[in-house]
Amino acid sequence: MRRNLFFLLLLLAAGCATAPPPENFSRGENLFPPDALMIQRAVLTVHGRQFTLNGYLASSKSGGQRLIVTENFGAVLADVLVKPGGKIFVMRSSRLFRPEWIGRFVVADLECVFGDATPKNCPGKMLSPAHFILEHRGYTLDLQIVETKPGPQPPELFDETKRGSP
Amino acid sequence: MKFFNTILVMMLTFGIFAADNVPLQPVADPQPVLQDLQRKMSSLGSVYFELTQERHLKLFTEPLTSKGFMLIERPDQIRWETTAPYQSILLGDKKSVAQFEFNDGKWEKLKLGFPQMLQRVMDQMSLMNQGKLDALTSDYTISVSTNVETILTLVPKDENARSVLASIEVKMAPDFSATREVVMNEPNGDFTRIIFNREKRDVKFPAGTFDQTKPLEIAAVKAAVGDAP
Repeated sequence: MRRNLFFLLLLLAAGCATAPPPENFSRGENLFPPDALMIQRAVLTVHGRQFTLNGYLASSKSGGQRLIVTENFGAVLADVLVKPGGKIFVMRSSRLFRPEWIGRFVVADLECVFGDATPKNCPGKMLSPAHFILEHRGYTLDLQIVETKPGPQPPELFDETKRGSP
Repeated sequence: MKFFNTILVMMLTFGIFAADNVPLQPVADPQPVLQDLQRKMSSLGSVYFELTQERHLKLFTEPLTSKGFMLIERPDQIRWETTAPYQSILLGDKKSVAQFEFNDGKWEKLKLGFPQMLQRVMDQMSLMNQGKLDALTSDYTISVSTNVETILTLVPKDENARSVLASIEVKMAPDFSATREVVMNEPNGDFTRIIFNREKRDVKFPAGTFDQTKPLEIAAVKAAVGDAP
């Protein structure tokens, strides 16, 4: 009996110490208009420290997706174009968002929320059609879509030769 | 009589056009203007702004707009709040900064990543709005132009800073009685314009306005200062 109790306590302790496996989410089809400008507000948590970000995503059925990420006062931290075939062009980067991180992490999260990523690549939760939490090993992104402006976007946004910086 | 009315309308019309077309006159020695500004602003105890922030990116046809408030109280309190399209509060004083985000119906205090950087930005905003431009001269070269408005232009001295921020323009009424706009120009032609729609000076902010633990709701602040002249 005493041995059983010890075993039970051990199991409980193990249960407490082990984090549950992350959930994955699937956002479903046709959640967003194919041609639109979507404005997002996000809180990025890295090692317990939080940073607020603004995201401006121009989406075009034929042109692809162009995401511009800024900090609180408007400075551009990341600017990336993903063509319909999946080719990635990092148009602008910053000290906080290096080109390789943009290509790897920013685009992966973009594809989870707004693209065609499969659920197994999207750890996190969809709290509502406008609120997503992406939970990765190194960071968490709490992203809310705060405004959607449907309609065609300027074609220059999807031209990889036209960069937004000198 | 009709003739005189026509002349009057023409004079007014041309007068307005003429005022608009008068080019800005750079001031050869900005020091007296800056001293005058500092003297007038130093008597202010507090200032309340309702503002619109426009982010102009060359790639987008329309500016990306947000709305909010900026509140400043001497000696060092500042609150910058965005109310649309999302809700966020930044609070700062000489010692610390705090940020709150409105999430799922409640305010959440963030554990800030780079508080020093944010504090520096908040400090500079506070100094600018108190007319303490002398304190900024170590970081910026300041020039002044005047016409129907006075424009202070601040250019970062540091080359690295200039690679992200070409200049800051502060547009004020000629007698410094009101701040009209602040424009932050980037080297690539993108810019952020902050338009001050409503300004109230020397208002008494209610307790909790600058509280970095539980800031008072902006609606309560607005109601408290609403009747101030």
